[in-house]
Amino acid sequence: MDLNSVSQILDFAIEKEEEAAQFYRDLAAKMSQQHVGEVFESFAREEMGHKAKLIAVKRGDMTLIDSQRVTDMKIGDHLAEIVLSPDLDYKQALIVAMKAEKAAFQLYQGLASATDDANLKGILLTLAKEEARHKLRFEIEYEENFLREN
Amino acid sequence: MPKQPPEVRRYNFNEVALGYSAESAVEEAKRCIQCKKPLCVPMCPVEINIPGFIKCIAESDFIGAVRILKDKNCLPAVCGRVCPQEEQCEKTCVFHKKGGQIAIGRLERFLADWEAEQRELEMPVILPSSGRKVAIVGGGPAGLTVAGDLIKLGHKVTVFEALHRMGGVLIYGIPEFRLPKVIVTREVEYLRTLGVELVTDFVVGKTRTIDSILEEFDAVFVGSGAGLPWFMEIPGENLNGVYSANEYLTRLNLMKGFLFPKYHTPVKSHRRVAVVGGGNVAMDCARSALRLGAESRIIYRRSREELPARLEEVENAEEEGVIFDFLTLPLRYIGDENGWVKAIECQKMELGEPDASGRRKPIPIEGSEVIYPLDAVVCAIGNSPNPLIGATTPGLKIGKKGNIEADEKTGATSREKIWAGGDVVTGAATVILAMGAGRFAARSIHEYLCSL
Repeated sequence: MDLNSVSQILDFAIEKEEEAAQFYRDLAAKMSQQHVGEVFESFAREEMGHKAKLIAVKRGDMTLIDSQRVTDMKIGDHLAEIVLSPDLDYKQALIVAMKAEKAAFQLYQGLASATDDANLKGILLTLAKEEARHKLRFEIEYEENFLREN
Repeated sequence: MPKQPPEVRRYNFNEVALGYSAESAVEEAKRCIQCKKPLCVPMCPVEINIPGFIKCIAESDFIGAVRILKDKNCLPAVCGRVCPQEEQCEKTCVFHKKGGQIAIGRLERFLADWEAEQRELEMPVILPSSGRKVAIVGGGPAGLTVAGDLIKLGHKVTVFEALHRMGGVLIYGIPEFRLPKVIVTREVEYLRTLGVELVTDFVVGKTRTIDSILEEFDAVFVGSGAGLPWFMEIPGENLNGVYSANEYLTRLNLMKGFLFPKYHTPVKSHRRVAVVGGGNVAMDCARSALRLGAESRIIYRRSREELPARLEEVENAEEEGVIFDFLTLPLRYIGDENGWVKAIECQKMELGEPDASGRRKPIPIEGSEVIYPLDAVVCAIGNSPNPLIGATTPGLKIGKKGNIEADEKTGATSREKIWAGGDVVTGAATVILAMGAGRFAARSIHEYLCSL
């Protein structure tokens, strides 16, 4: 897919959100424990929410707000890769999501550094920031549930 | 309350706190001003009439005090030792602001121990048989509370315990130096004398399912605890010498590894042990490692102020010589050529900007990595319920963290005739909260049985 215009970039991002949602739906269907399947389904719904937001941006109904710096708690950075299997638990599901959001962040960062067009660079960095925000959301959920050290 | 000196107790597994004498208990009880609207009682999850038993102690009527205490608490010797009274009943004592709150927990412990020293225990009134049968899954604090309450109401009660000894976390989790096992055994035996049937080595979900048990029983209470340990999910966790807190403490407490060869399950002697976590379980592991002769350190991601462990236990650990590394995050475990852990790499943290909730979250400091040589790590960051019951009980609603979903006030679950409470519902919490949940569930089960 060419990424030579804001419209093309948004189409790419919308497709990525759909892919992410499908990834979580597929995982949800494979889980042996129903409650873990429901966790992945909720992640899929969040991705569809991101997709809807990007569609609204493309239509001109809303703008992507480039707000303040996003905190990087780096919780996911040092955690081992989770081997996908039907026996995942909630904790592992959150790690999968943190890693996926980090990969998406890095993708947009990489694309931004590969273009000299200031306008395109701007939208790609904004998308990267969105993914960083999604990662932070999972990091906070992970911290609040699994890093109480109790 | 007198304690073993730190330089002595760090080399033995005997109980640290030595308890009140009768004279000092009476003296302490006399300080209670018997508030007309006592603020301590609403803070007790099992609703003990605290001023009532303290008044009896002040009058040296220990039998009367025991009667009041045991009316609401079937495990007083346990609660007197491990309840976080400083966060509950003692916190709202009118003397708390001046730092002179009545030592309710210590008085409770004194009474329970005094009663145990008497030749004969006073038996409570037990109602005539209702002809109804209740099965309890798990012989820990929640299950034992339900058993104690329901047996007195005339129902037949059977407790099914997966391990070979009753007591749950009181037996396998909390170390001897904080809760001597003879005390747990004594409290369990009291329930047996009341008529509770105690079945060990029975894994519900494997030996028999809950549905199979319900063919014989009118109701089931699930209090199977949170026995599935969490790990950090960082590289190196499969190395030898990396333990879960559950395994480490079970080897010591249930299997008496520290008394090898008198007991048959040894525990390896380590020279340097790091315990990851900051709760009471982490303190228990670090202090146990110390007693086994190791240099022992706690690695905790936040600062001392946020330690979830009881302050008393933190201070005990510090006095005994446990090293604390605050604002430190483990990154990976490093192994030797034989697959044994030989070091831990950590990163130092700093507290970041306050988030929306106002809390400052720990953020890694770039370039602050540090490596500590060691030969054992104990991961004490938390536990989930074992998934076995959920997996073998169709229709039982399970929450995201693998916990059974149950009504907070009644313990009722999504399945008829099945109640649940304690750590299997809340995740790992305190003994007294589990007992409180057991009390609510017992009431609800009793109402149900009376309606049949």
